[in-house]
Parts: sequence; structure tokens; C-alpha cells
Amino acid sequence: MAGISEKRSGAYTFLAYVTLIVISIFCILPFIWMALASIDSNAQLFLKWPDSVTFDHYTKVFAEENGVRWFANSLFTVLSATFIVMVVAGLGGYALSRSKAWWKQPFLYAILLIRVLPSTALLVPLYKILLTANNGIGTLLRPLVGEHYRSVMQLFGFIDGYLGLIIVLATGQLPLALWIMKVFFDGVPKDYEEAAILDGATLVQRIRRVLIPLALPGLAAAGLFAFMSAWGDFLLPLILLSSPELQTLPIGLFRAFLRVNEIDYGLLAALATIYLIPAVIAFSFARRFLVQTFSGGVKG
Amino acid sequence: MTTPMIQLSGVRKSFGSVEIIQGVDIAVEDGEFTVFVGPSGCGKSTLLRMIAGLESIDSGDLVLNGKRINDVPPDQRGIAMVFQSYALYPHMTVAQNIGFSLDLKKVPKAEIAREVGRVSELLQLSELLDRRPAELSGGQRQRVAIGRAIIKRPRVILFDEPLSNLDAALRVQMRAELQKLHQELRPTIVYVTHDQVEAMTMATRIVVLNKGRVEQWDTPIELYNNPINTFVAGFIGSPRMNLVPGTIIGDAASQSFKANAGWTTRLDNRSLAGAVGQLVTLGMRPEHIQPATDNVDLEATIAIVERLGAETYLNARNGDDTLLVRAQGDLALAPGSTVKLALNHGAFHLFDQSGRVITG
Repeated sequence: MAGISEKRSGAYTFLAYVTLIVISIFCILPFIWMALASIDSNAQLFLKWPDSVTFDHYTKVFAEENGVRWFANSLFTVLSATFIVMVVAGLGGYALSRSKAWWKQPFLYAILLIRVLPSTALLVPLYKILLTANNGIGTLLRPLVGEHYRSVMQLFGFIDGYLGLIIVLATGQLPLALWIMKVFFDGVPKDYEEAAILDGATLVQRIRRVLIPLALPGLAAAGLFAFMSAWGDFLLPLILLSSPELQTLPIGLFRAFLRVNEIDYGLLAALATIYLIPAVIAFSFARRFLVQTFSGGVKG
Repeated sequence: MTTPMIQLSGVRKSFGSVEIIQGVDIAVEDGEFTVFVGPSGCGKSTLLRMIAGLESIDSGDLVLNGKRINDVPPDQRGIAMVFQSYALYPHMTVAQNIGFSLDLKKVPKAEIAREVGRVSELLQLSELLDRRPAELSGGQRQRVAIGRAIIKRPRVILFDEPLSNLDAALRVQMRAELQKLHQELRPTIVYVTHDQVEAMTMATRIVVLNKGRVEQWDTPIELYNNPINTFVAGFIGSPRMNLVPGTIIGDAASQSFKANAGWTTRLDNRSLAGAVGQLVTLGMRPEHIQPATDNVDLEATIAIVERLGAETYLNARNGDDTLLVRAQGDLALAPGSTVKLALNHGAFHLFDQSGRVITG
């Protein structure tokens, strides 16, 4: 009896592994192609072993193309947006967790709705609003900065400026982050804060010495989601940025792909690999925080 | 008379339309171990949090050492508190947890270390100073929480059900340690619990609370011997006091108690001539009812027998009345059999229909 069931379970295990391996190969193939093509001196549209190994494509990204600039732009806008998301979600999530206001539940579902609606559908009104805001801030800044107007607007403009992209990116990531932090703070007993009050901690001390350390796993999770999602966003920088010196990595990748005469698969693969790396690093950093946050654990 | 350490006069508090504290007047003397006891929802924790300053006071006065402190921020009251959950900061070591309040006050590091050393020695925590709360046992966490409270050398320490998360054996041990600590340091302690055994064993005085009011406020033994109403009578003492509904019968010369279930017993040494015909409740502690052969007051059928060795608890029924009997020694009685019971007439408590004690 035991023999039969062992055989059967052996066959099942074999089948399961085969299925999993097939699925894994299917998933990992594009990444393998990308990695191989990025170091292939003669990269093609199909998967092949490199003719000869070269790092010319990477050199090209940074030397001939504006790779450093794109990378810096991406990193700057996405990190700024992530920072804003972490601060606002940290404070807002705390407030939403502790508040007993009647509008709390409706508010929480309303902000989730923002997340559910496809942002593409809202692009035109969003652009219109940002354009108006841009004109407003332009009128305000022009007399102040004079000849530096253009470079200042690239920083603080809402259209074709960093600020607009950062704010819109952050807004898109806030609902989920607020939810994460709200749920996280629900699991942090009020006793900690009250103990700190009796220990003589001021509000700032309570936030800095008690709440932030307690909230760190949640903040890391919220920040990671915001970073990964904003890092992968393509539409917003495409619509909101037009100056070449403001381009972000995905736009650079897109433009390189669209060039008419030649498609340089090696360059595209190298760009894509560079584009992937920060997301992978962010994930590996925050993985342990994710486990802590979503297994519900601030048990002291 | 000296000024009490804590004085509450006419203190009230509402949450929404519900009045949680309905006018409380008590005074806690310096160095006293006062226990607030009552069923859940009686307002005892709210009252403690009001003393701590974590809840506002709607009306009435809270006076600490002669000074009205209704509007003084919690950290300036000179009060420390031990929370039910201990609320030890999980990201700090034991030493950091204990020294946190001094650190916030910018006390020099060396002095903090010295104070932490003093407190940890007192609480036998010296070996654990570098650990984090997650690495401690329940009893150790409890001691860290106490250490965090006493390092400030507070005039008053508040305890909010501090032993309820511990297992029974540890609770007994911590009870002894708390009493020892109180004897050594002599702080004024206000301690909240729903466990009347904790109250009886540790308190110098007990405040029995029910539905936001003080039912009775006295020494443990006085509460046990002379409860002023049926609530206190039923709440203090374990196992509970038997409360039997009935009527006073008799004439001007002698009176008896007639239970609704039918049995009667005489009421000695009391002048209850004016109370004949009155509906009353007779209170008897379980140890004041004993199986007997002489002077039998009633017979009852045994429903449950609990043999603990040194004593035996009998659950005995007479009609609708269930009497709990706490008999000395081991009695091998079978459930279903009949037992003759004698009552200690000198230890009767009589309560009127509103539940207040009848003296006389």
C-alpha cells in the first residue's frame, strides 16, 4: 500500500516540478534575453548566445546617449515622490488609524477609488489642471527669478518640470500607502504613546523616538510599493515632460526604440537592464519589512 | 489630619451621552496601597487614567499633594504608570526602556546608567539590561515596566491591571514582589484590578466601584466583614457570599428570617421589631454555613461537591435557593444526598430591598 502511494506521490511531485519549471522558464526568458542581448556584440530580436561578450552597449548608454541624465532624472523624481508618500502616508495613516471621525470609512474607500480608476482616463483633466497650476506658478515666479526663469521652471513647474511629475506620482501612490500605514498603526497599541507621554516625551519626541521606530516596517513597505510602482510608471513622464534634459529612463528607452533607421537591440537591452536594477535592489532591501508588515507583527 | 496624597472630589466624566464616572469622592493617603476594584465597565480604569492625566476630567477636583492638578500635563504630575500591556518600547533594550524618561530630560549618560543600575538591581534585572522586550518572559517584562515607573522616583505609581497577562503561579509571585516593593520604597500606589483576590491581598484600602460610583471604600477586612450593600457583599470574598431572598417574620419579641424557598432561621441579637414583614436579602459567607448534626437550620440536597483536601465546597439546594458551603476538612459526600446545615447566626448580613445593609 505504502509503495503505491509513494509511487503516486512521486509521479505527482515530478509533474508538479515539470509544470513549475516550464512556467519559470516562460517567466524568466525575457530577462535572460535582455541580459544576454545587453552583452552581445551582435544582439538580435531573438534569443541567442552572444557572438562575443562586450560592454559596449552599456558604455554607449552612458557615453553617447544621455543615460546618466535619464537615470538621475528617474531616480530623483521617483525618490522624491517616494519620500513624500512616506511622510504623508506616515502622518495620514496615523491620523486615520486614531481618528474616530464619522468620515473615516467613506474617506478610506474614496481614496481607494482613486487607485481603482484608470489614471489614463483622467489624463486630459489632469493635464488641464496642471497647466493652469503651471501658468499660475509661472506668473508668480517670473518677476522673482528673471533670466533664470526657464531653469527654475524645470524644477518647480507643473508641466515640463520636476515638481509636477513628483506630485502626480506621489498622489498616485498615496492611497495604497495610506491604507498600509492605517492598517499598520491599527496594530500599534496606544499604550506606547501614553507610556511616552507619562515619560515626559513631547509630541516631536514621541514621533521621533517612539512612533517612527515602531512604524518603520510599515513605512518601508509603503515606501517600497510607492517606489516600485512609480519607477515603473511610463505614461506620466511621457505626457508631463517634454524637455530632453528632463527625460526619465523609461522615456529614454521608449525613444530609443522608436528611432526610425535602426533598432539597436543591444542598446535597448542594456538600457532595460539598467532600468531594472534599482527595482531589484529596492525589493531585496525591503523584503524582510514586507514579511513583518503583512504577517501582522508588532507583538512586543 | 495630614493632607492626602491624592484627593478626588465630585469627579465626573462622560463619553458621549454615557456618564462613566458619576461623582467620585475618595482620598488616598501618602504611602498607601489603594486598590480600585470592580467589574469590567465600572469605570476603574478610566478613573486611574484621569489621575494619570490621560483622560480629561469633566467636573470635580483632582488634588495631588495639596495642589489641584486637573489641568497639569501628565508628565508634570510626578506620577508614573504601569500599563496592562506593559507598553515596553520594542525597539529599545531593557536599559533604554528603563532610562527613557531620564534620557528625555537630557540627564547625563553616566547618571542615567547609575540610576538604571540602581533600579535594575532592585528588580533583579541587572543581567537583562541589553536584551529587548521580545526576548523577555512575561514576569521579566512586568519588572521592566515597574522599573521604568520607579526610576523617576514618582510620588505616585499607578498600576492598570498589571498582572492580568500573567499565568496564575507568576501572578502569586508578582503579588508578593509588588508588596515587597511597596514596603521598601513606600510610594503611594493606586492599583486597578477586577480580581478581588489581588485587591484583598495587597491593598491597605480598597475602593469598590460599580457603574461609575464608589460602592464602599475601606480596609480589605472591613469590606469583608461589613459590606454596606449586596454589591460589595457579592463582589468581595471568594467564593462569593450567599445572598438569599426572603422575609422577616415574627413579633416584637423575636424575629426570624423566612426564605422564599420556605426554610426559616432565627435572627439573634438584633432589634428588628420594626422590620417584621419586610422583604430582605440574607447574606451568609460560605464558611458560615457548616454541615452539622446539632442546631440544624435547614436541610439541603447536594448538587456539586468540590474536594480540595483542606476544605470541601458543597453546592447545596433547598427549593430555589442554592447555598455554597465551605466546610473544613475533606468530606466524602455524594451528590444527590441530603445534608443538614447549621448557620452561624452571629455572622448574618441583612440587606433591604434596595440592597443596603440593615443594621440593628
